[in-house]
Amino acid sequence: MMAVGLAFIYVPLVVIVVNSFNASTVFAWPPRRLTTTWWSQTAGNPSVRAAVATSLEVAVVATAVALVLGTLLAFALARYSFFGRQALSLLVVLPIALPGIVTALAFRTGFRTFLGLELSIWTVAVAHATFCVVIVYNNAVARLRRTGLAPEEASMDLGADGFTTFRLVTFPLLRGAILAGALLAFGLSFDEIVVTLFTAPPGVTTLPIWIFQNLQRPNQAPVVNVVAAVLVLVSVVPIYLSQRFAGESTAGGRI
Amino acid sequence: MSALATDVRGERPAPSLRRRLSAALFRHPRVRLAGLLALPTAWLVLVYLSALASLLVTAFFTVDEFTNAVVRRFTLGNVRDVLSSPAYLGAALRTVAIAVAVTVLCALLGFPMAFFMAKVAPPRARNLLVALVVTPLWASYLVKVYAWQAMVQPGTGLLAWLLKPFGLSSPGYGVTATVLTLTYLWLPYMVLPVYAGLGRMPDSLLDASGDLGARPARTVRSVVVPLIWPSIVAGSVFTFSLSLGDYITVQIVGGRTQMIGNIVYQTYASNLPFAAAIALIPVAVMVVYLTLVRRTGALDNL
Repeated sequence: MMAVGLAFIYVPLVVIVVNSFNASTVFAWPPRRLTTTWWSQTAGNPSVRAAVATSLEVAVVATAVALVLGTLLAFALARYSFFGRQALSLLVVLPIALPGIVTALAFRTGFRTFLGLELSIWTVAVAHATFCVVIVYNNAVARLRRTGLAPEEASMDLGADGFTTFRLVTFPLLRGAILAGALLAFGLSFDEIVVTLFTAPPGVTTLPIWIFQNLQRPNQAPVVNVVAAVLVLVSVVPIYLSQRFAGESTAGGRI
Repeated sequence: MSALATDVRGERPAPSLRRRLSAALFRHPRVRLAGLLALPTAWLVLVYLSALASLLVTAFFTVDEFTNAVVRRFTLGNVRDVLSSPAYLGAALRTVAIAVAVTVLCALLGFPMAFFMAKVAPPRARNLLVALVVTPLWASYLVKVYAWQAMVQPGTGLLAWLLKPFGLSSPGYGVTATVLTLTYLWLPYMVLPVYAGLGRMPDSLLDASGDLGARPARTVRSVVVPLIWPSIVAGSVFTFSLSLGDYITVQIVGGRTQMIGNIVYQTYASNLPFAAAIALIPVAVMVVYLTLVRRTGALDNL
């Protein structure tokens, strides 16, 4: 059953990678002839490069915001009990727990009709940051719960004040988890399409939007195939790094 | 004696501003808490709660027939239109049915995988297996849907090629392909909570059940599943909600299948209030679902 499950998970990904070498521009399994032409063509494709740059900009801003907000929330919710704590912890997961279309349309109406903003790359980043908070939060809160208060109390007993304790004890203990959270938040933002399509104006093209637009264009298929294969291959990186940073097997707080 | 103590204290420099601030914060946990909460709460309320509220309010607005601009005049018309249209109600029912099917398939496939990972595989292999299940979660969502387009493509897809020797053909684009693809996308969201739940369950319970004469199937049904039910429900919240709100997958592999998500996607540009009214359906379904599963305690596991 495990083998069947893993085959179910990996066969489609293998198909994507193999298909990027398919000499024919029309998909048919099994491929008749293989080529590397599409790979070299894609590397120089300006629209792909621009889309990657846009995605990176959005992901950097979203991750930075999520990093600050998620860490602050983790401290508040892990270390204190207060009125509304339950509600707040629900509010943090809500952006990813509610159906995607709801979150997407809510952001659009919120930005446009409530806040009166024009859509831009910033509205995309703000929306991304909001659902990335939970990723950083989950990673940080798990670590805070596990380490407990003892190391900090020991530090204070030895005469360090609150700031020194944070700098020398709390933060180093938390650093791995926060880094892992940031990395995974970055990955989520880079890959997001459901909310992005509703919060991006025409002209702001992230990589997923570029793929989505070009899926319907048959003559772009070889380039889409290569981009898809690259995305499959690099998806190993965040998992590998986050496991090294966090030093534990984690779903990346995506769950 | 007291003079000595005064001397000792007298040699100490006056506490620095930093030291006094630190001490003040230590004595006033409420101030620390307020400092921690101010920024994130403001963000979540201003950006997210306000967005949800405006979605709810917009559902009761109307549009200018010529410019498609939202007119802020209260009406129940959108909600009435949605509720009185067989096409939209049909799409809503279809969407819920697809979400249920995906959730059941994820549970049926995910439970044995999680059980193998947690209880059967040697402990050394566990982390590797978890990594193998988790990694595809970070492969691009769109790419995975695209992969399934290639899988189910009628005639020349991989499934058609695999099934041909058995005299079967690919399901092609449609509801079946949508359910398969969504199951594929959300399977790790079921496997991981169930794996974590099984990890917390002592092995001795399995032995005890066996010693008392239960066959493996009976042990699973009467011991394992009841104990990890909250984990299964926690996974189901994600598989159900994510399927309910999807509009990309069904566009790519669903053929002409209509789900709530793509109706919203097709209508929001021309009639935002109407799209908002339709989007209230998945919200209502999720509220009912979360209320039903609250008793299991699964929500604490999210």
